[in-house]
Amino acid sequence: MKPNDSKAPVDSAGMEPVADYATAPVWLIIVFGALFYWGQLFLDRHAGGFQKDVYAPFQDVEEVAKSNPQNEQDKFLAMGRDVFTKTCSQCHQPTGLGKEGQAPPLVGSEWVLAPTAARIVNIPLDGLTGPITVKGQVWNLTMPPFRDNWDDEHIAAVLTFIRTKLGDNKASPVKADLVKAARQVVHPSPETSDELMRIPLQ
Amino acid sequence: MNNGPLLFLGLFAAMVFSWLGFVMGPQLQIGNLPQTNTVVVGDAISQAYPVALSGNAHQGEEVYRANGCAACHTQMVRAGDSSPLAGPDISHGWGARRSVAEDYLFDQPVLLGSQRIGPDLANYGRRSSIDAILRRLYDPRSLVPGSIMPSYRFFFKTRKIEGAPSPDALVLSGKDAPAPGYEVVPGPRARSLAAYLLSLHQDGYLYEAPPPALPPPPKTNAPPAMAVKK
Amino acid sequence: MSATVSPARTASNNPSEPSQAGLNVSCPIGMLYLLGAGLVWLLVALVLGFIDSLKFHAPGFLADHGFLSYGRVHAAAGSALLYGFGAQAALGIGLWLLCRLGRTTLAGPFVVFLGAFFWNFAVTVGVIAILCGNNTGFDAFEMPAVCAPTLFVSYAMIGICAMLTFHQRREGPLYPSQWFVVGALFWFPWIFSTAAILLLYMPVHGVLQAAIAWWYAHNFSMVFLGFSGLASSFYFIPKLLGRPLHSRQLAALAFWTLAVFGSWGGIPDGAPLPSWIASISVVGTVLMAIPMLALGDNFYHTARYGLNTLDADPTLRFTYVGLLFLFVAVAQQIVGALPNVSAITSLTWFGAAQKELFHLGFFAMTVFGAMYYIVPRLLGLGAEAWCPKLTKWHFGLTLAGILISYLALLVAGVEQGIMLAGTNHSFVEVMSSTLMPLRASTLGDLLFLAGTFVFLGNFLRVIGTWCCEFRRRAIKEAK
Repeated sequence: MKPNDSKAPVDSAGMEPVADYATAPVWLIIVFGALFYWGQLFLDRHAGGFQKDVYAPFQDVEEVAKSNPQNEQDKFLAMGRDVFTKTCSQCHQPTGLGKEGQAPPLVGSEWVLAPTAARIVNIPLDGLTGPITVKGQVWNLTMPPFRDNWDDEHIAAVLTFIRTKLGDNKASPVKADLVKAARQVVHPSPETSDELMRIPLQ
Repeated sequence: MNNGPLLFLGLFAAMVFSWLGFVMGPQLQIGNLPQTNTVVVGDAISQAYPVALSGNAHQGEEVYRANGCAACHTQMVRAGDSSPLAGPDISHGWGARRSVAEDYLFDQPVLLGSQRIGPDLANYGRRSSIDAILRRLYDPRSLVPGSIMPSYRFFFKTRKIEGAPSPDALVLSGKDAPAPGYEVVPGPRARSLAAYLLSLHQDGYLYEAPPPALPPPPKTNAPPAMAVKK
Repeated sequence: MSATVSPARTASNNPSEPSQAGLNVSCPIGMLYLLGAGLVWLLVALVLGFIDSLKFHAPGFLADHGFLSYGRVHAAAGSALLYGFGAQAALGIGLWLLCRLGRTTLAGPFVVFLGAFFWNFAVTVGVIAILCGNNTGFDAFEMPAVCAPTLFVSYAMIGICAMLTFHQRREGPLYPSQWFVVGALFWFPWIFSTAAILLLYMPVHGVLQAAIAWWYAHNFSMVFLGFSGLASSFYFIPKLLGRPLHSRQLAALAFWTLAVFGSWGGIPDGAPLPSWIASISVVGTVLMAIPMLALGDNFYHTARYGLNTLDADPTLRFTYVGLLFLFVAVAQQIVGALPNVSAITSLTWFGAAQKELFHLGFFAMTVFGAMYYIVPRLLGLGAEAWCPKLTKWHFGLTLAGILISYLALLVAGVEQGIMLAGTNHSFVEVMSSTLMPLRASTLGDLLFLAGTFVFLGNFLRVIGTWCCEFRRRAIKEAK
């Protein structure tokens, strides 16, 4: 009882309810325990290990990872597609058909579809300037070098994508070794059409 | 339990427990999701996903919010119990995969809704056109007999044709047709709402909701016929 | 009323000593304002809900004016119900219980009155703003950002007075009702400020907004309104039966498990959130069975010898019915949370039925019961101030209304869920087949509305009696 007698009771009538001290029944405690246990089992099974990438009906991160594309070739192509979308398609267009005053076409280009990528591998590395004939048309533009932007793997991936998947291009894939070898040749200024023609295709 | 401060302390602990679990935890985990690229399937091209709404579509989202569209329309596709790519929602044509947190990165506010009195709109932009949306807002039952959606005629103006008829005027027939010499044109709210609805789509496959497994790719030197047979 | 109360109880429970009536006038005005304004807001919410319900009979009904379109009226009705009625009734009853059980007077009655005034002002602005198109878009949190500070400050004014009242209590040991009132009073500012800051002022990014809005709505109903309603049940059932509450321990168990598990829920099945969030919500909801069993056991043992008094007293009758509906509503929520069921029922009318039963069946019925006891005593009148005929009509109409409305919505929800889970019905077919039960629910809405109107009439009658009494006494004193 608080010693605060300055406040008169609002209403002096009647007994206020009191609470008895019966203990909680055992069955309720058992039900509580059982439900709690069920809750843990449920979380084990459905909570996806509390990972942010797991959405129902997947149960854990491994299952999500397994459902994503597994093939090495697919991943390589996906990487190439990514580079192409973010960079190349700005000038060569998402279709790869090129645009007047921006960049020559890649789809159906005799440079791209050459038996090997020995010549074109130098273009993303060192850039290209001056007139070049593509599909019978002369283009006189400049492309910057990307030597320092991408590693060998990325350049090989984007070249593979351009040679094998872009439009109806169907040429052979490109290995990272080829890019590595080409990178050893230091070329201080952008390539020109004539310089490229001097590189053997094999 | 006769001690006031102890009662407060216990309540505070229970409150903080719930707050950590439902507000803080999710915020730490998915509060700053980045925009990522869609998972490549087949010959599609990887794209940044999701993309921000255009200014007009964002105004449309405000119209959607202000008029309580979310009271009847959800914007979330649910998964079935075996795959994120199948289930009743998906067989109703409401989407190709389940919705995940990343789909709502640029929504402000996020209007998921909580009841389906109308169909789900998560991918509405992929199955409608501006003409159909405007017609439906003006008179829902002219396109879908039996629809219980109210009409939103107060988004439109009926005005006298002066000079050439407006190219935006709705093509209406029957009882909806305006009096001769008049035309019904969408107001700014109808236009931006239509822009918003057309912007609704969740069709990129993401890591959390991956594409269906592809058949193994054909060998490069194999003839195409072989690849098909495989 | 006086005819039906047993003589023993009349002797012990009738506090209307004339000498006290005059003393208490300044004190109860805040509580009376909260309860009366809450009742008016309930009517506003029911009328708006009825307008919305009519749109399922004719979608073109009042559709040509933006401010009466379905989405806006729906949000306005929800806000009027939760903030106009729910919060005010919870505060009014809570303050009264704190005074009564602490055997003290309300601290700062004028501040309470002012707080209630500002609260009503903010809710009025909010509901009008929603009708004008200023809905935030979040379920149960629709009022625009401008209202939030006023709501918070006016709540703080009332809440601080409530805490001071609690602090100056003259009765040492706490009775369970006091825990529940304190819990409810404590809960609201936390969830409200979290929602206001993280949804309106510094909105979190992306889908978390929806998660926080669901969490808020669930906590508002389950903990804030749930605690407030249960505080009233814990007080009136033992009080009016003249028996002690069966178990303090069970009450404590129910209190703490409701605080812990009742606050972990509200995320619908299939929400675009990592699966752990929805799973925790399911577990929290299922564990709500514990507080419900504890409450059921406790109340059963308290009241089992007094069930024959069910007809005796409107307070007891409404409180019993409210409790029963609470158990049904939570049971439905638990069943609806189980994954196999929620795959079918989530996002359908099933959830709307559950909410209706919780808000109108449990909370509103409990509040009606409490008001039958509290209002005349605040005014220094006896329980005979209520017209017993109107009381009977009120009970019958609201009970029939909520039953019809709930069952109709439940049927609509189950039907919609099952048809949508299959693939051989178009969406329009599904919705047209739910129209029949939806139209039936309009009848229920109408009956509940009529019952509440009857109650308002009865309430005004009590106020009128008090005015006459007050004038009579003033004249007598002047002489």
